[in-house]
This record gives sequence, structure tokens and C-alpha cells, in this order.
Amino acid sequence: MVFLMFELCGSMFKKFLILSFIFPQCLWGQVYFVKDTLSAAGDSVVVTATRSERKLSNLTVPVTLINAQTIQQTGSIRLTDILKEQTGLTMTSGFGAGVQLQGLNPDYTIILINGEPLVGRTAGVLDLNRIALGNIKKIEIVKGPSSSLYGSEAMAGVINIITDASNKTPLEASLRMGTYNTKDINLNNGIHSKCIFYQGFYNYYSTDGYSIRPNSNNRITTPINRLATSQQFKLNLTDHANILLNTRLTDETIKSNIAVSNGGVTINSNGKEHNTDANISATLNYRFTPTFKTSFRSYLTNYISKQELLTISGAPYNDLLNHLFKRLENQTDWALSKKLNGIFGMGAVWEGVKSSRYDSEKLRKENTIQYGFTQWEWTPSSKLIMIGGARFDKNATYASAWSPKLSMLYKMNSFHKIRLSIGQGFKAPDFRQLYLNFTNAAAGNYSVFGSAEAQIVISQLNNLGQIGGLYNNYFLLKALQPESSTGMHLSWEWTPNGKTFFSAQLFRNDITNLIEVQQVGTYISGAQIFSYLNIGRAFTQGLELEFKQNINNHIVFSGGYQYLETGDKDQIAQIQAGTVYTRNTNNVSARLTMSDYVGLPNVSKHKSQFKINYNNEKGVFANLRILYRSKWAVNNTNGNQVYDNGDDFAQSYYTLHTAFGKEFQHGIALQLGCDNINNYIDALHLPNVAGRTYFINLKYQIKQKPQK
Amino acid sequence: MKKQLLKITIVLIASIQMVACTKSETITTPVVTVSTKVVKDLIADTVLGIAANGMPYSAGKYTFYSIENNEIVPNTDSASAKWDLAFMSTRILTNGGTSGPALGGGFIFTGLFDDLKTISADSIFKTDNAPTYAITAGSGKGWYTYDQLTSLITPLAGRVLVIRTASGKYAKLEITSYYKGGVTLPVSASDAEKLTKQRYYNFRYTYQANGSKTF
Repeated sequence: MVFLMFELCGSMFKKFLILSFIFPQCLWGQVYFVKDTLSAAGDSVVVTATRSERKLSNLTVPVTLINAQTIQQTGSIRLTDILKEQTGLTMTSGFGAGVQLQGLNPDYTIILINGEPLVGRTAGVLDLNRIALGNIKKIEIVKGPSSSLYGSEAMAGVINIITDASNKTPLEASLRMGTYNTKDINLNNGIHSKCIFYQGFYNYYSTDGYSIRPNSNNRITTPINRLATSQQFKLNLTDHANILLNTRLTDETIKSNIAVSNGGVTINSNGKEHNTDANISATLNYRFTPTFKTSFRSYLTNYISKQELLTISGAPYNDLLNHLFKRLENQTDWALSKKLNGIFGMGAVWEGVKSSRYDSEKLRKENTIQYGFTQWEWTPSSKLIMIGGARFDKNATYASAWSPKLSMLYKMNSFHKIRLSIGQGFKAPDFRQLYLNFTNAAAGNYSVFGSAEAQIVISQLNNLGQIGGLYNNYFLLKALQPESSTGMHLSWEWTPNGKTFFSAQLFRNDITNLIEVQQVGTYISGAQIFSYLNIGRAFTQGLELEFKQNINNHIVFSGGYQYLETGDKDQIAQIQAGTVYTRNTNNVSARLTMSDYVGLPNVSKHKSQFKINYNNEKGVFANLRILYRSKWAVNNTNGNQVYDNGDDFAQSYYTLHTAFGKEFQHGIALQLGCDNINNYIDALHLPNVAGRTYFINLKYQIKQKPQK
Repeated sequence: MKKQLLKITIVLIASIQMVACTKSETITTPVVTVSTKVVKDLIADTVLGIAANGMPYSAGKYTFYSIENNEIVPNTDSASAKWDLAFMSTRILTNGGTSGPALGGGFIFTGLFDDLKTISADSIFKTDNAPTYAITAGSGKGWYTYDQLTSLITPLAGRVLVIRTASGKYAKLEITSYYKGGVTLPVSASDAEKLTKQRYYNFRYTYQANGSKTF
């Protein structure tokens, strides 16, 4: 019955297609890009690394590319599903699912959709479950500071999700059912003529959530209903110009019923969370000559999150976050010669946040940014590419930032490549760090004030006789500097033949000006007052290995491993000075030694994954994936402010995943899968990891008619 | 200087051990020696049960302790100079100021117990002045940390309670555990166990009976 309906739709679209041919014919069928200067046959195109189309093999910085086939064959439906299987990426829980890139927290990776940033972070984390994967062409992950092109947040790297405006599939529909009554319904439709491309995407996702805590009714993942849609238009005006219009809307409702039991007394709370994420962008691309083109981009996004919590006793708790972000940008690409390409860009950002955690939720806190960037690509020989670039961000409400970057690729021969990149990245102070005005009545009435207003608020309180004492930190409060990092990546890639790929990468990031919460004073009552200061210094460093081996035409082995070391430089200095203590096995105090220091919390030293893929000509595929993560520190239980072997750790674990399926005739495909086959559960530390789950996915696709 | 001091101490300890080994009582020791005593599971107002409102309740009484005599002092002597320290849950009183009639006081030294050989002359001894105390109360501020996630209380490492006793002599004290048997409970322990096994002080201390600030 369902299929019949889809067939009907399909035939309607076919009519539309025929109609669309009546429109004036355009000569130009694709966007013009300044061409890659090096020839490399048959490999993928990446845009994120240089803000221009470049072949993967010609990039000077480390990039991971995930294509649509990989996403489909692993049965991934949310962005988190596929990112967790990548080398160097670790999923975090708390304030939604975030991604840790090479040891740096989710705050430090910018998430882009078609080059435009997503906003609406809670405590620095952008919940990646928001992003449905049904219409994605590819995901590009650039590792290393990339603020020289993308500005704030691109400190650890960039994740750019690219949807396909020129997808020529007229109709594709899929229905997926899984454990915990999880449903995922996708509908993609596309219409195109020679000059107009349209793609619409609709996704509905719902789950009952699950409870993996024993003896608890509370669902760790609560029931969710999520509707996502995106519409993309591409209009080729002339053979020199085109227009792109994108809209995207995600709307989700999360229900939670929390029961807190304390000594036999149970307090029930009914919570409801409603999040809306809307983006709209319009881009005009214009080519003056084959070597000179420009694009104007405008973008608006709004993220609104509302939480309501009703308890049977006490006042209702409401929380609002409303983040509005607007951007205008121009980028011009100019190929001066075959050996020299330049990019110039400039733009302006206006953004504002309303939150019930600021002094008034009716007033929008605002910031404006003006920026300019340039990048030069020099290809002195067929073996060498060098890229240098820089960006300047002038901020209205905090200190400005310079972000230079240098990178190079050296092709020793057809088998060996070496890449080296050094760059600076930064993350601007977020609105919370500037404007938070929050007093926790539930836990001792302590207050946290954002740095932009802390001195004003505290001096007002002081005039009212509310302040008991001011710490030295109070007098150090000033305009926050962006957090910044200097990153270095060195990689070696070896492709001895068409069947084998191996790469090794060394990386190091040195981070300064980390913004941390510090006590700045006390109330008369003794309750603490906190604000934000630039005080922290940290580093991350490690090694990444990746390989891929085609056993034959059907079977591919691939895998990756990351070794990671992290540390807080100030803590290390204290440990070396002998002023940090721990307890030995007899509970007697002892000086902490570096050998017991574990570095930053939530960071695992080892992480790896291994995959076997099978594909044949008859449309059959199967895969088996193993993901491993070693133990990580979660809680400073011994109270010495430093994470060491005497603290609380989450245990190392692995999970096994499989998916297999077949494409039948007439565009029908069936897929079955099982995630977490070994049913690994750690309710306390891995709330995002459900136990063993199964899914079945049915897809129907109208294939494109061959055109002449 | 430090090394010399260390050598002297080693010599001292060695001589003490030799003294201890000799059974003869005719030798008069010219040096007054100090010894470190270990106190286990000193009850400090342990939890009696859970009230109807879900909160734990207890008797609300201090346990008074004499550092000089290494024994519990009856509550009836609370207004005397017989006790040096009093314990009730995480609060520790010294016998002076608002807490008692004697000369008691103290402060918290950051460092290792064994490294504290002499209380430096410029140390400031505080006396109890309720609601602030010589032995600072509160998580992370004084001698312990309370973890809201795990509901566990852990004595901070590298904290030594420097005590002036009721009679004005000095002692140093390190708390090793707040739980019965001297073993901090695992994070996974039940709430009931975390409540019933807490408020048992385990500590070690050194008392200098000659009135000097050197241990």
C-alpha cells in the first residue's frame, strides 16, 4: 500500500519533470570552480579544507571524508552514529551528544552545514543528535586549528556536513524500525532541469527512549519526537552565475518524567523540552572570467530551546535559550597563474542570545563580529603545494583575534605523501561566559556572573551590603580574551598500490587563555560568587594511525587507532613543585607524582576501531565493526583538583556492530542491523550507549532515467 | 639544612629504636620523644535512621576526645579542659573560644604529615568563633571534600590539622578516612551503606607533651 502511494508520487514528479523542460534552457550545467592545479585521477573532492574545491589527494591538511554509502551501509541515522566510528573522534554525553576531536572538548569544534555554522550550544555542547543524515552527500572533517578560514570555534577542527543540491534522484523513501520503538522515516525528492535543481528532504524520528539503570523508572534517553526538513534550490541563471537557496528546520519535543526517591519519599517531576533549529541561506555565485569568481552568502539561523519542569511540590522550573545568528559574507577566488591561487573574504556577523539565566530573558545580549581573511595557494612544482592564510576577527564585546595558518603537501613520489600544517585557532567567549547571571537556590545560593557584568553586579551588591569579601580574582576581571590554540599536524601517507592505504599522523595542540570558572568573592552568608577568567593552559598530543586494505573486489578491511596524551600545564607545574597530594594504599597522604597524573578528564588514552566491509555486484553488502575506548577519568574523587590514578574512572569498553542488506530490483532495498551486539552498558558514564539494539530498514528509490 | 635535619631525625629515630629495644630501665633518655598514635573508627554522631521526610537523622551529639590521654572524654565533661577535640559529623571543635573554656585552637597545614617537623613561628592559630571554626568547615575549604555526584566524603590529601590542646600544648593530626573500617566506600556502594558507614573518624596524630612546637 505504501509503495503504491510512492509510485503515484513518482509519476506525478515525472510529469513535473517534463513540465520543467519548458523553462528556458540553460547552457551551464554546473557551478564553475577555479580548477585544481594538480591532476589526480579518480579521487574525491573536498571543500572544507581550503574553502574551494580540491581533490582529497591534493590537500595540505588532514581531512577525513565520509561518503553517503558509508553512512547508509552502517545504518547511521544521526550524526553521532557515524562520527563515533571515526579515528580521533569520541562522543561525549552531558548536555546532549557532543564530539571530542583529538582530545579537545565539543566546544572547540565548529559544526557546519553546507559551510554555514550551527548555533545553540548548551554549556558549549551542540547536540549532534539534532542532525539527521538522510540527505547527506558527504561529511568532511578537518583536523587541526582552522580559524584562519572559519573563525571562532574552529580550534580543534571543522565538521562540515554537505547535502546534495544536485541529487538527481526523483524520489527516495525509507522506513526504519528499531528497538525501543524507534522509528525513522525519510523522504527525499528531487526535481531538476538543466537550470533548476530542487531537493526536498523530510525526516521524522521518534523513540520511546530507554532506561538502562537497574531498578529505575527514569529513562536515560527520554521519549523524543523530531521532525526535520530541508529544502534546497539551485538556479543556474546564466553560464556565469547561479543562486543557491537552502532552508533547514529541525523541531523536537522531548518528554521526561523524573522520579527522585530519597528514603522512601518520591518526588515526581514532569518535564518537557522543545527545541527548534531553523536556518536559511542564500548564495549568489558569479564567475567573471575562468580565473576569477566571487560569491555572496547570506545566512540566518535561530535556535530556540524551551524547558519546562513541573514538580508536585515547589515552583515550576522554566528555562529558555534563544540564539539568533546572522551573517553576510563575500568570498572571491582568483587564480593569478597556474601556480598561484588566492582567496579573499570578508564578512560581518550579528548574533544575540536571550536566556532566562541572564539578568532578563527579555533582553537580547548582542555581539557583532567583522572579519576578513585571505589564503594563498602556491604550487611551485608537481610535487609541492604550500598554503598560507590568515584571518582577523574584530569583536565588539571581547578581544579581537588573529588566526594565521601555514600548511604544505610534499608528494615524494606516487606512493608517499607528507603533510605539515601549523595554525592558530580560537574560540570566542560564549554568551554564557559573558552574561550569565545565575544563582542556584537549590544548592547553597551560590552565584555565577558572566565576566562582562560581574564587576557591575557585584559592586551593586556591595553597595547593598550583600558582599562578605572579594577575592583577588575579582580585581583581575576584565574583557575576556578568546581561548586560543596553536596546533601542529605532521602526517605521512603511503599508498603502495591501489589496494592498500596507510597513514600516520602526529599532532600537538597548545592551548592558552582557557576560560575557567573561578571564585571571585563571597556573600555575607558565606555563599560563593563565581565568574570567568582566562587562566588555563593545556596541551593535547598524540598519534593517529589509519589503514585500509582491499582483500579482493568484495572485501575491505579498514581500521584506525588514536593514542592521546593531555594535560593541564598549571597542574603539571604544581605537581612538579610537589604541592599536589594524593593518598597511598594505606590512606596516608603522599605527594602526587607525574606517573600518577592522567591529564584532562573524559579523555581516553587509546581509542580504536576496526571494520570489515563486504560488497558485491548483486547489491549485497555486509559489515562488522568493532569500536574500542580505553578508560577515562570522570570525577576528581580525592579532592586534589587534579585527575590522577586515585580518582574515579569509567572502565574501558568495546562495542560490536553489524549491518547487512541487499538492493533488489525496482529500487527496493532492505537492510538489517544490530548495534552493541555485546550489550555493553555503563549507565553512569555512558548514558548515550543503549544496550543491544536491532533495526530493519526498508528503502524505495525511483532511479533516474538515463538522459540523452 | 633540610638534609642535616633529616639526618638528625634518622639518628634520633635510630636511637629511640635502640632505646626501645634495650630492656634496661637504668638509661635515662635526655630527649623527650614523641610517638604517632592511630585512632580507628571514632564515632562522630553516626546516622541513626532516615526520617519520614527522607533526611537522615542522628543524635546531634559531639564526641569529645583527649589528645593528651588518647581517649574519649564523657559528654558530661564538655565544659572542662579535659578534652582537646570534639567531633560531630564533619565538624571538628577545639577546646577554646566559643567551643570550650580552655586554651585550644588550631589551623590546617597544607603539606605532608611527616614533613611537618616544626610548627613555624609565624603560624597563626585560630580559635573557634561559631559559626567559623579553627578547623575550617565546608567541602573543599578545610579538611575534606564532599562529592555531590557520589555523596562521598573524602579527606583531602596533604592536609594536616595542627592542634593546640586544651592545656596549650601542640599536636599534628591527619585524618585518613571518614568511613567505618578506614576504607572509603566505592562509588557504587548503596545510599544506605554510604549513610550508615560514614562519620567514623580514622586518623593518626603526634602529640608533643613538652610544650614545644617540634615533633
